[in-house]
Formats: sequence, structure tokens, C-alpha cells
Amino acid sequence: MGLKASRPGLAGHGDPAAAALPARAAAGDQGAWDEIVERYAPMVWSICTRFPLSDRDLEDVAQNVWLQLVEQLGKPPEPAALAGWLAAATRRECRRVVTAARGPEPPGTQPDAVPVDAVPVDAVPVDAVPVDAVPVDAVPVDAGPVDAGPVADDAVLGEEIIMAERHAALRAALAELPAPCQPLIGMLVSDPPHSDAAISTALGIPAESIGPRLARCLEWMRESSALLGLAEAGANRPGGDPGA
Amino acid sequence: MRNDWDDEQLLAELREAMRARRAVPSWFVGTGKSAYAWHNIDAELAQLTYDSQTDADRVAVVRSENASIRALTFTSAHLSIELEVAGDSLLGQVIPLQAGTLEARTKAAVTTSPVDEAGFFALEPIPASPFQLRFRATDGAYVMTGWITL
Repeated sequence: MGLKASRPGLAGHGDPAAAALPARAAAGDQGAWDEIVERYAPMVWSICTRFPLSDRDLEDVAQNVWLQLVEQLGKPPEPAALAGWLAAATRRECRRVVTAARGPEPPGTQPDAVPVDAVPVDAVPVDAVPVDAVPVDAVPVDAGPVDAGPVADDAVLGEEIIMAERHAALRAALAELPAPCQPLIGMLVSDPPHSDAAISTALGIPAESIGPRLARCLEWMRESSALLGLAEAGANRPGGDPGA
Repeated sequence: MRNDWDDEQLLAELREAMRARRAVPSWFVGTGKSAYAWHNIDAELAQLTYDSQTDADRVAVVRSENASIRALTFTSAHLSIELEVAGDSLLGQVIPLQAGTLEARTKAAVTTSPVDEAGFFALEPIPASPFQLRFRATDGAYVMTGWITL
């Protein structure tokens, strides 16, 4: 599946609250903008981690991607296409920074541009490097062609977009839940998860009531506008294995 | 279509969603949030449309003798800003040719340089990266670039 996943009806969020965020941000609502960033920063981050970028590179990418989105706010793409737009912009910026960092600069001018330990050594076959494009001695052995490698092709980006919408809807659904549900589910999905005994102590509820309470909370969650919107958008396949 | 995750699947998905959120450093989110300060600033964003390093393959064919000079072009709807690294200086020209003022902004400081009638300007030394350029033309046009790292 490719970038078409970013079109409305495939990965688009049917959650009206989420769909309204770009228009609210365009109207001057910083809170709505913050929600957009909270919602999609994990996707931007996840795409960036596919590239060998230093912290400074990552900040460079983040600044440019979000600045471009701010610039787009007055003339937004369809709200449902926002994730696809952001994913494509992120990949473009990552490629630009990676390409610039491995360019033919005098050695030593940017010692920390690509930290060695951040580079996936076997990510790209060495023989895929176009040897005539850059002086041979300037090519790090592991810097494959960023346009052709498996690091972020359209299929990968499509998966990132769908996953981002699914995760964002789940987090939004959790935030919509009645107050008693949030700490209960929060403790159950923490890493590492808490035991029933610890939950019972922390929340002051009998251990045997955890199961029934959880079932009720999850039922509410399925009825939340965030998850119903996700289901309408057809992106609710758990873990990419609908037959499970 | 109804949501048919069972409890275990829903919890597993939630766990994954929270893990993906926790994996993001707070400064990365903060960078995104602070970009909103640029909203409604009366400036056009000039996009990077040419970089001699990124576009090295193309250049090598056409003018290989110049391939070692780092050159960048930023383009907005109304004008372009061309940059060239020359030793410790960053030389530039605004096209179409016009006078104005150029600001180079890092997170810490703002440096202002004049732009002459022929659109030329020079920044020395080259600002500590990353930096951003903003050009205010004498006729009032206002254009800023994205963040630049040289």
C-alpha cells in the first residue's frame, strides 16, 4: 500500500474533533496546534528514526517540517490528508539533511553531523552506492542511496501513516474516557505493566473487580468518537493481521 | 464498519500507541509546538529549491568545475534568495534585484545586513547553524527561509 493511504476514507480520521484541529489552528488557536503536534509528533519521529540523523539534524528536520505546516494552515490539505502531507514532508526533509550531511565537505568540518553509532551499518547494501556521484573517499560505507533504500519507500510511509492515525485515535479515545478508567488503563498499558495487586493498592479497588471494570472501560472506549471515527475510516485492523 | 477488536487486541494496541508516544523526546515535541509562533507572521516562506550538495548529480553533468562550491536557492512566490558559501562568508543575491534588509537569525542572536540595489548581500561570519534568513524589501515585501544548516 502506498501514499494513497493518505487520501480521505483510507487513513483519514473520522473523528470530528481531530478533523477540526487544522481549521482551529489556522484561526489562531495555539491549543489546537499543540494537539496536532502531540498527535503526529510520534509519526514524524518514527519516520526520522529510519534515517541516520544526529539530534541537531532531527531538530533541523522538525523545525522545517512544522514550519512548513504552519505556512500551510491557511490553505490546508483536506484534514484527512494531513498525516500523509506530514509524512511526505518529513521524509523529504530527512533525505535532504542526510544528503547534505554526507556531501563532499572537507573532513572535520562537521564532526558530529552523522554520529557513527546512529548509522545502521547494514541498512543498505554497500554496492548500491552510486560510486560516480561523489568522490569515493567521501562516501561513508554505509550511506546508501536515500532515494532507493528500504528506509522509507512509499509502502513504509503508508504503513507509518495508518499506524499514526490508529495510535492517535487510541490515545484520544483514552483521553475521552470517564475519569476512573484512565488510571486503570494507564497502569495496565504502562511499560512494564503493573500487577493486579499493585493496581488494587494504587487505585483502592478490590483486585477481583479489575476485570469487570476494565471490560466496561474498554466497551466505552469502543464507543468513543475517536475509535468510531477510526473504524469508519477503515484503519482499525489490529497489528496488520485482520484474521487474528 | 464496527470496531471489532477484542479486549486483548485493544489493550495491545493501546500499549503500542502509548509506547510510540513515550519514544518521542519532549524537545522534539517542543520544537513542533514553538513553530506556531510563525503563524500569521506577515512573511512568505521561501522553500529550498536547489542545493548543490543534494542536487550534485545534476550539477556534475552541467558544470562540473563548480561542483565544489556550496550553493543554495530559496524560492517564494515572489522572489528567490540565492546563497553561495565563499570561505568564511555567505554571499547572496535577491532576485528580482532589489534593495532591502536581511536578517540572519540563530536561536541566540539576530544579525542584520544591508541588501544593495543589485540585490547583493554578504554575511560574515557564516552564522552558527541552524539559522534562518529573513529579507524585508524596501517596498515592504517580507520573505523568510526555513532553517538552514551549512
